[in-house]
Amino acid sequence: MFKRFASFTFAALLISVQLAGQAKIKDVVTSNYNRNSVSFITIQRGDSYDSYTTKAVESFNPGAKFDINDIRTRTFRIRKARKDAVTNSEVQEAVEATPYAREILSSVFNRDSRGMMDDKTVRYRGNYDAKDQDVINARASRVGEDALGDMGYALLKGCYIILTDFYNIDSRTDKEGKVTWSTNARAYAYRLGVDDAAINDFFEQCWIYEDDDTATRDAKLRAFQNLAIPMDYVAYATSSGSGKDVQTAAHSCLSGLVTGLENAIPAWEVAVGISAVKPLRAKIGTKEGLTNGARYRSYSYTEDANGNLKSVPRGFLRATEIASNTGMSIGETEPSEFYQISGLANIEEGWTIKQSNDVGVGLMLSGAFGGLFSSFHISADYLMKVKTNGQMSYILLDATGDFSQNNVSSLYLALGYGYAFHLSRLIEFMPYAMIGDDYMSPSGSGSSITFSEFFKRSGFVIEPGLRLAVNVAYPLQAFGKVYYDFLLANSALNSSYVYYNNYRHHGGLGFQAGLKWTF
Amino acid sequence: MIALTVLMTVSAVSVSAQTGKDRRKSFKSWDNYEITTEKVGVDGTKFVKVWGFGKTADQAVMNAKENAVHACIFRGLPGSATAMSTPPICPNPDVLAANEDYFQNFFAAGGPYLAYVNMTTDGVPSGTDKRKVKGGYKVGIYVQVMYDNLKRKLEADGIARKLSSGF
Repeated sequence: MFKRFASFTFAALLISVQLAGQAKIKDVVTSNYNRNSVSFITIQRGDSYDSYTTKAVESFNPGAKFDINDIRTRTFRIRKARKDAVTNSEVQEAVEATPYAREILSSVFNRDSRGMMDDKTVRYRGNYDAKDQDVINARASRVGEDALGDMGYALLKGCYIILTDFYNIDSRTDKEGKVTWSTNARAYAYRLGVDDAAINDFFEQCWIYEDDDTATRDAKLRAFQNLAIPMDYVAYATSSGSGKDVQTAAHSCLSGLVTGLENAIPAWEVAVGISAVKPLRAKIGTKEGLTNGARYRSYSYTEDANGNLKSVPRGFLRATEIASNTGMSIGETEPSEFYQISGLANIEEGWTIKQSNDVGVGLMLSGAFGGLFSSFHISADYLMKVKTNGQMSYILLDATGDFSQNNVSSLYLALGYGYAFHLSRLIEFMPYAMIGDDYMSPSGSGSSITFSEFFKRSGFVIEPGLRLAVNVAYPLQAFGKVYYDFLLANSALNSSYVYYNNYRHHGGLGFQAGLKWTF
Repeated sequence: MIALTVLMTVSAVSVSAQTGKDRRKSFKSWDNYEITTEKVGVDGTKFVKVWGFGKTADQAVMNAKENAVHACIFRGLPGSATAMSTPPICPNPDVLAANEDYFQNFFAAGGPYLAYVNMTTDGVPSGTDKRKVKGGYKVGIYVQVMYDNLKRKLEADGIARKLSSGF
């Protein structure tokens, strides 16, 4: 008995020590964010699509958030059928065979044919990346604002190459002969593997000065050619797109790839402190690629009893008014505004907010009673615009069928617009209007019908209504809708619909209740 | 064996309790604050990052300012990769006790010490520089201490000895 007690006590002590150790390992989210630079490279397959995909990548602009390193090798070839994606190991092999690190350093330090380099780009980037606090610190120190340029050297650690591969390229022709191309895409991100020691070695061994003699120059040129700085694999992302031709389809994948990589690479997620409340403000803007509706998550900081720092995740917020800050900071950067959309606690000054991308699409599953018909509804909304006072614009989509009817195929499609007001951050009240098409036909007869046939078998619906949504546990919301369906089924125009409908669907007051998940 | 186990458990609990108490005490102690020299300040100033504690973030900021001036007078400033260390204006540890009334007035709320410290943090302390701790907030701020002016003031008031006074 005593032995058991002793063992239990020891075990409890051991577990608590282990837990304390684990708590220290947990990453702390900080507001440190520096600009990153990228180079996009196309993986070619040696087929006729190569020129289109290469052009798509070359014409892509990842936005003001990134600096671009103009490197020489912008394509490389992996001979493999376009049907499948290239694998990580195939990409790794190709990256190792190409001197990307040297090319990045050549670009960043403007290396010319004689091997001479300068730090103009690095100093420019250091100045451009400087935050207000950096400028104020520089002014308070003897070295002054000239020191801001030195910060650019630290940005070498944020140089990436993005290798983009397009696969499964396919085309489809509709009845009218219109061709649509589609493709899948995958991007692999590699980071320049430098640390302070490697950067120092680079300067000592490869930097040529005007007064270097020929032997020294030759030695430094050789050292540069033999520079062994690795490119470290960081993450990959996938996307797909379509368009009227291969180039357009490939181009449409690229912003999705960047978003996917942003979600996978913490150093790419913008983070900053809240500078003011009422309204919420933070000193980021167009320079960081901020757009209206962009979602951020807030974090506060605590110290536990052992003095360990912890970041505590708090509510989410969305960007509303975007400040134009695409210039050098002079210590008075205009802040952007935000609206808090979740969390019980009010976001406070000084808390960190960090980019937390979402699509802005809410998927809803609800049960309807009354209105056009009583059934389950699958619907969606897309957040278009957010205002600082919490007003939001949505595009609404309803796509469902009346599953309660036998011997009849039913499809209800509706598109609408809603303008939401927030009674508090947790409660959203939205008047809306939708225009819908209620299609009805005998079961199994709707596989290939013309537009005019579809029109004849459809009744048109206008639905004004009100929606009330309440945060349950963001991004999960519970919502209720009350609406009135006006069914416009002209007997002459929509004779088939009237016949098949036979008063099954009708206008009237309806109610819906369900759940919404925002992605 | 039982005695050993009980002793270990009790001592673990008491160490934990002591840690909490000591930690609260240490926040209140004026000798417990962190200060680092950020860079070489412009002429006559010291540019430091200093931490303070208070029930509210604003009180913690005021405490940090006091700490910065306190460090310049009594503790000195540590060196860093970019700046040399700075000795205290009053290296004699008895100066505080001998001039208690003077320093009570000097460091009073809204007291003369405020003329020698400028906060250079952009807005409010943010990110990891603002931490909720038991009993209040701990904040880190960047400040510029008017070191030469402070030294001259203390010399003029007879608190610090002038360099020339030894000759």
